[in-house]
Amino acid sequence: MEIKEVIVSHDGTTRHLNGVSTVIPKGKITTIIGPNGCGKSTLLSVMSRNNRPIEGQARLENRDLIEYKAKDFAKKFAIVYQQNDIPSDLTVEQLVMYGRMPHTSLFKKNTSEDEDAVSWALACTNLLDKRHNDLAALSGGERQRVWIAMALAQKSEMLCLDEPTTYLDIYYQLELLELVKQLNEEHGLTIVMVLHDINQAIRYSDHIILMKAGQIITEGAPREVITKEVIKKVYGVNSVFHEDEELGLYMMPLSI
Amino acid sequence: MTKKISSFLVVLLLLFLTIVYAATTGSIQMGFGEFIVNLFDANNDKMEAIKDLRFPRIIIALFAGAALSVAGVLLQAIMRNPLADAGFIGISAGAAFTKLFIVSFVPTMFFFSPIAAFVGGAFACFLVFFLSWKSGLNPLKLILVGIAINAMFSGLTEAMISFGASTSGAITSNLTLKTWDDVSLMATYGTIGLVLAFMFYGWCNVLVLSDKTAKSIGFNVTGARLLIAAVAVLLAASSVVVAGVIAFVGILVPHIARRLVGYDHKVLIPFTALLGAFIILLADTLGRTLFAPMEIPASTIMAIIGGPFLIFLLRKE
Repeated sequence: MEIKEVIVSHDGTTRHLNGVSTVIPKGKITTIIGPNGCGKSTLLSVMSRNNRPIEGQARLENRDLIEYKAKDFAKKFAIVYQQNDIPSDLTVEQLVMYGRMPHTSLFKKNTSEDEDAVSWALACTNLLDKRHNDLAALSGGERQRVWIAMALAQKSEMLCLDEPTTYLDIYYQLELLELVKQLNEEHGLTIVMVLHDINQAIRYSDHIILMKAGQIITEGAPREVITKEVIKKVYGVNSVFHEDEELGLYMMPLSI
Repeated sequence: MTKKISSFLVVLLLLFLTIVYAATTGSIQMGFGEFIVNLFDANNDKMEAIKDLRFPRIIIALFAGAALSVAGVLLQAIMRNPLADAGFIGISAGAAFTKLFIVSFVPTMFFFSPIAAFVGGAFACFLVFFLSWKSGLNPLKLILVGIAINAMFSGLTEAMISFGASTSGAITSNLTLKTWDDVSLMATYGTIGLVLAFMFYGWCNVLVLSDKTAKSIGFNVTGARLLIAAVAVLLAASSVVVAGVIAFVGILVPHIARRLVGYDHKVLIPFTALLGAFIILLADTLGRTLFAPMEIPASTIMAIIGGPFLIFLLRKE
């Protein structure tokens, strides 16, 4: 996906994205980070067509996103939001089946292709044995995985995750990021996610986009992008960087 | 699964018994056996009287109950609000007002009164949506806006009646003196609405997802909302034109139905139609037989039951 000179304003005066251009590398994990209000969620909503740029455009496979029909776009692009209401009286499998919406029509019954896609999505997210469970009976980490499974059932090439770890404890955070990594490595999905934790971004991304005040400050491989100077510039925080044999590079905020 | 099937069977049985009871009870009495034997006898005077006077009333009660209950299910799905009801948030009042307006000022347009009612109901529905949209369709905000819209249209209708407009079936329900013409009107629009409602069950199911998520799987949320709202208004308007405003059915029936058959609209919509038909026929039949020859309108009975029920629901929210 290619973002070209995009300007977005929610209220007509402030520019929430101010001339953002970037290319999301295919088959890689891209993470967008930056302080609160920097425009990272807005960038994600441009990519998911929830916000229309007032200038510039976002293109996927050389077509402007707004030219896509809703279902055609959903076949190429799936997104998981950070918080989702849990519908009543629905099993895991039934919810994941909703992900087949782009491939079905109002009157077409589920085909074996749909069944296969659902089973595959459940297998990827390690939910096969819970497929007949009620959603309400799942843990927080399992629920997040169900929403990912729904997105996977769309069989899109691109998967977007909006702060997927925010409401999870460290166990489920790791579990989720490992899942993301696995989806990327084993199934070649292009991943774009927004994270708050800089160390997780360093560890799990191929490509990092660092944003501030509606603009991209810098982007590239984690080691090139995340430096003491950049952290000071973007977050206004002094930090220490350490290289650990087991962990690789990690960062600790020191003072403001 | 067995609970769903037995719920259907029980409601069908109750529906059948109520229809027979309603047909055989009143100023002309008839035993069950006599009723069955003479059902297709064209020469029995008593039976003919029942066919002319009671059958239309029964059929209209059934359709009105089904239509209003299903309208409730649809509105609750698109507004994501368990308290949405056509009679409660002003849709029925809007329909009643425009219908009365047409009948009073342009009597030659009488034939188009269902269309007028549809326009009024749709306008009220639009206002409710429009005015509560900013709050993200917050359940309580939506209900308050609905109450205001309802009050406005009810007030306008009452004002027109004060100026001498014809009152039949304008504010409270009126199921007396119904003819077979009324039946064909109600049955035509009611059937179209109910069939369309059932066709949209899949969309209603998707609407339980948040708007963002529904959009992300390629679902046209706004389009679906608009179409389903139109069907709900059609159902409510057609029953208002023939049977007047009956509030609370649209909340009460779907709520009980969800308890019995669950949230899947594929099962919920047909079950709600049956249960709604049964409850309105029961209310109407009790209303005309309990204190005969005095008649209590079905809407009054529904209000007496529905009021406390609504308080119960609000406390649970």
